Amino acid sequence: MISDRSGATRLRFLGVILLCNVVALAHAASPADLLEAERAFAFSARALDARTLQAQFAVAPGYYLYRDKLRFTVEPGALANAPVLPAGEIKHDEFFGRVATYRGKIVVTLPLDKPASGQEIAVIAESQGCADIGVCYPPQRQRIVLPLPRPGAAPGPLVSAVPPKRSWFR
Amino acid sequence: MRRRLIVVAIFGAAGAVALALGLRFGLEREAGAGGRADSLFAITLPDASGQEQRIDQWRGKVLVVNFWATWCAPCKEEMPEFIKAQQEWGGRGVQFVGIAVDDAQKVRAFADEIHLNYPALVGGFGALDLSKTFGNRIMALPFTIIIDRDGRLAHTQLGLLAPAKLQSVISKII
Repeated sequence: MISDRSGATRLRFLGVILLCNVVALAHAASPADLLEAERAFAFSARALDARTLQAQFAVAPGYYLYRDKLRFTVEPGALANAPVLPAGEIKHDEFFGRVATYRGKIVVTLPLDKPASGQEIAVIAESQGCADIGVCYPPQRQRIVLPLPRPGAAPGPLVSAVPPKRSWFR
Repeated sequence: MRRRLIVVAIFGAAGAVALALGLRFGLEREAGAGGRADSLFAITLPDASGQEQRIDQWRGKVLVVNFWATWCAPCKEEMPEFIKAQQEWGGRGVQFVGIAVDDAQKVRAFADEIHLNYPALVGGFGALDLSKTFGNRIMALPFTIIIDRDGRLAHTQLGLLAPAKLQSVISKII
């Protein structure tokens, strides 16, 4: 019984070590491993219907975006109102004070001021973020052109600003 | 079973140690060092007061060029160390120069706030392209290059430049 328990403890210990390794590998361990901005902060968007777009950011582990630097615009036309951004998590910064940041996946709904079915629309995201190891990227401006679905049609496909990198594991 | 577990645990621990070491030494990796900084000496940039400054004027000194911006918190974090270093080594021919990926007004305000004791040149976003030519592959900040008296790149650093590293590089070429 006692040896069983210690075996389980060892297994748990081993699990923690392996998990630490995986986490360390996933995060940028050195500047040489840092991702380019468009991959650290992968932007994609889709048209939900003729007057609603959805923008997404997938923030890689070990990186974060500043909430107050995030802006969305569309071309042509305009947004019906300022998009509601998720609250984010508060980071205490020596210079910027309490700042809201995003990690992981962020989804933002963008309501268009008037429906524009069957046309193309460009969604433009401005963003700025940093990596936890202590580097910051300059403000980025990314643009995605989306086909708008006709009324009643299914939502359009998710379009990425940057095509995914080819990988040996894919 | 027990022995196998121990062996796996040892490998796991070894992996963790190797990664930790990689983290430590990776941060201090010298990229692009050994090359020449001639292209840098060929340029002229305005300082925060609008006065054009030729980089060439610091040729022959140990030159520490720090690319930074007011929107970059880690950049601001390390600048007080550079101020101290400029004070300590300025008399021995070490010159710090900041090149800001920013606009003049913000640069001037921050330089005043921290009592910057070395030139703050204003490069705008074009300065990122300049930094790329010295190995700043992802064009992030802070990025610092140290150039010896003969115009050779002694060290390049993406991310914070630890005071100990700064000291060790400068003491070799001063």
